[in-house]
Amino acid sequence: MHRIHIFCKGLVSSIAMLLAAQAYAVLPIQEISLSNGTKAYLIQTNALPMIDIEISIDAGSRYDPKNQSGLAALTAAMLTRGISWQGSTLNEAQQADAIAELGASISASASGERTIVRARSLSKPELFNPLLQLLVASVSKPIFDQSILMREKQRVSSAIQEGDTKPEVVLQKRFRQIVFGNYPLARSPSIESIAAIQEGDLKRFHQDFYRQDRVIVNLVGNIDHAGAKQIAEQIIGALPAKGPTIPVLPPFERSPIEPESQRVIRIPFQTQQTHIAMGMTAIPRDNPDYFPLLVGNYVLGGGGFVSRLVGEVRDKRGFAYSVFSYFQPGRDTGTFEAGLQTRNDQADQALKVLQETVARFIEDGPSEAELAAAKANLINGYPLRLDSNRKLLDNLSAITWNQLPLNTLDIWTQHVAAVKKDDVRNAFKRHLDMRRMISVLVGSAP
Amino acid sequence: MARALNALAALCLLVSGNAFSAQTDTHEYQLKNGLRLIVREDHRAPTVVHMVWYRAGSMDEVNGKTGVAHVLEHMMFKGTKKVKSGEFSRMVAAVGGRENAFTARDFTGYFQQIEKSKLEEVMRLEADRMANVQFSDEEFGRELQVVMEERRLRTEDNPTSLMRELLMATAFISSPYRHPIIGWMSDLQNMKPADARQWYRDWYAPNNAVVVVAGDVNPLAVKALVEKYYGPIQAKKLPERKPQVEPEQKGEKRAVLKAPAESPQIMMAWKVPKLDPNKMDEVDPYALLVLSAVLSGHDNSRLNRELVRNQRLANSAGASYELTSRGPELFEIGATAAKGQTVQNLEKGILQTLQDIANQGVTEAELKRIKAQLLASQIYKRDSIFAQAMEIGSSEMAGVSWRDLDRMIERIQLIQSNQIQQAIKTYFINDGLTIVTLDPQPRSMLAKPRGMSGSLRH
Repeated sequence: MHRIHIFCKGLVSSIAMLLAAQAYAVLPIQEISLSNGTKAYLIQTNALPMIDIEISIDAGSRYDPKNQSGLAALTAAMLTRGISWQGSTLNEAQQADAIAELGASISASASGERTIVRARSLSKPELFNPLLQLLVASVSKPIFDQSILMREKQRVSSAIQEGDTKPEVVLQKRFRQIVFGNYPLARSPSIESIAAIQEGDLKRFHQDFYRQDRVIVNLVGNIDHAGAKQIAEQIIGALPAKGPTIPVLPPFERSPIEPESQRVIRIPFQTQQTHIAMGMTAIPRDNPDYFPLLVGNYVLGGGGFVSRLVGEVRDKRGFAYSVFSYFQPGRDTGTFEAGLQTRNDQADQALKVLQETVARFIEDGPSEAELAAAKANLINGYPLRLDSNRKLLDNLSAITWNQLPLNTLDIWTQHVAAVKKDDVRNAFKRHLDMRRMISVLVGSAP
Repeated sequence: MARALNALAALCLLVSGNAFSAQTDTHEYQLKNGLRLIVREDHRAPTVVHMVWYRAGSMDEVNGKTGVAHVLEHMMFKGTKKVKSGEFSRMVAAVGGRENAFTARDFTGYFQQIEKSKLEEVMRLEADRMANVQFSDEEFGRELQVVMEERRLRTEDNPTSLMRELLMATAFISSPYRHPIIGWMSDLQNMKPADARQWYRDWYAPNNAVVVVAGDVNPLAVKALVEKYYGPIQAKKLPERKPQVEPEQKGEKRAVLKAPAESPQIMMAWKVPKLDPNKMDEVDPYALLVLSAVLSGHDNSRLNRELVRNQRLANSAGASYELTSRGPELFEIGATAAKGQTVQNLEKGILQTLQDIANQGVTEAELKRIKAQLLASQIYKRDSIFAQAMEIGSSEMAGVSWRDLDRMIERIQLIQSNQIQQAIKTYFINDGLTIVTLDPQPRSMLAKPRGMSGSLRH
């Protein structure tokens, strides 16, 4: 209902957060053993009368069949488009109304590695209990109505065509294609791959992937251990115990060394600005170099208005409004990306500054002063990563999905504090390499 | 149905159960120099957000200088008599702070989020730049380039932004709301350092500002800090604000935008009233707010249900209305066409949806759902101290006190179907309507991709 149009000093906060999804333990993570042998996880906080639930499913778009890119995403979308319910059905309208009248919300979406279903509800039992039943049915008993599927496929196809007119979408599509190489996340949905998806494919994908041994339940809010256990048992119990063996994915291979002439790709596009992305493969979250890279990237291009990239590209030269770098570490994959957007006629100059700044950082690492400033920011600002139920859930979700130790939040600042100048330099040298780095430019540079 | 009644009853009890009371957790003070301070106590986590809001936004700009409010916002990070350029952000970063600033039509705001023991440090810096900003002409020139890049990124290459720009410029002829916040490109190209300095001298004063602090704080301790750092700053005589009242629209207006895109789009906007801070009990603004929720509050609201799901006219559709603002208000409905559909069909579908409500009203079930969501949102918003501070600040800028926010929630709950029907009949008339449509053009590919011959590495 709110529509205040705002222009900001910078687009920084979301990008700085990408790498940095961990925090400390004022509130402990409780591990809950379930009757089927799996675990659920809880951070109990009674500050507000509400509960957040996340169901994290190992059913990301990397499992899309080669000619059916978009299958995982469509399956997730259909969870809120009609369900079996108490011997009958709730159509999509009834399902949406039932959730809304409880003052609650349920959302579902697929990313590269996993599908995430989230529910937010007030904790009062009269409101929470019916919402939980709706959540259980949404995850376990979607009806995949054929005419609704047709409509959703049309909408996705239109969105793909619309995306092909947007420079930032064209850029990211091509960038992913190159960086992921032979890994399935290189592919993006196309008109053809969406057309190839049928009702039976969704049902099979749901049956094969939405099952007890591929699901993690995370809870945050006004609920105790016993209550959380009951909730998780209901969710898990509604899913099949196991299913067919899922074929192993191809390995996530490091970006190869490219000949110099092949390191820059230009996609001519009729826009005022050229959009640039430069990057390569990097580390998954459990890599021991995670913290040196986190601290180092703060200095390079993650640290708000004080990074080297902002200094060189924006402050000194006025080349761009937004310039950044980040690592995106997942459970099995990880990438590094730096980027900016600039007027077409200065795109080559800006690319040169971007390349030189990143190359120099890989070579020399941070100065002692930069390292100290980065650590001070990360450590002093640590409570800001944990000060809402939403942020607690984001942390819990990252820890349990990435199979990190449950004391990760307690020792996070110690890990940051322990990072030394050489650790950063060595980690950057180990994982990044300008000969492997590809730059994609979308725009009408002369 | 029975469940709906129970759910709503449970929500009412929860919200009125006095577990949270803005009245007791919020404190307001005023300094001798005119600065107002509002403190929202929230002790759930050891963090604080500190904001300063200036009642000067793009609507206060004059001809030929559009965008100056936003340009000055950027220049506020370029140093003061005591703090060198760039040092502000470095010092905020050193204490672990997150910071940014924002410019809107009605106001300009600055904020830092910090661990609670760092409040004094950031307040010292923020108070310093209320009075002591200075920057070189050279630095201004470079930052102006950054702002022009921002305009290219967010407007020039973005058809939806261009449509909004055209909509505002078409709907309003006298009100400064007709100008984009970021400014017209030509005005940016011709902006001088002196324009930004004059803007700063005119509007940056304690008597034109509200400081909002929310989080794990003691209100009296905050007040003492504010007196120490903001207290010594002199009040100023503010420039006269001309009312620039928008004349009554006498006939429908239409405009077409051609831009690279795939699907046609439509934006329809009607001139409607906002909530007058002196007449908090007037029904129409609340009825319009509930109407916007009936149209696009959740997945099965009317626009999505009718236009996207049932009739397949649109791929997406939504409505928006702001209860409070300094300038004139619009009720907007927008939609993107489904494959093979035209903006003419979208327009008909939108008007039919409104007509249905005008004729038959809305159901009790719809009203109950909207009230349930409204009440639940009062709890959910407590999850973020930042959102709470934003709500207080933006209301205050529109002349609505934080003290009235609860009363507004109560008023919204009282709205009945016939009041919504009446509001549609009164305001959704062609003579007050502006329509902007997007005529999609191909994004011409200039040549074949170079380098790697467009092939992939495998």
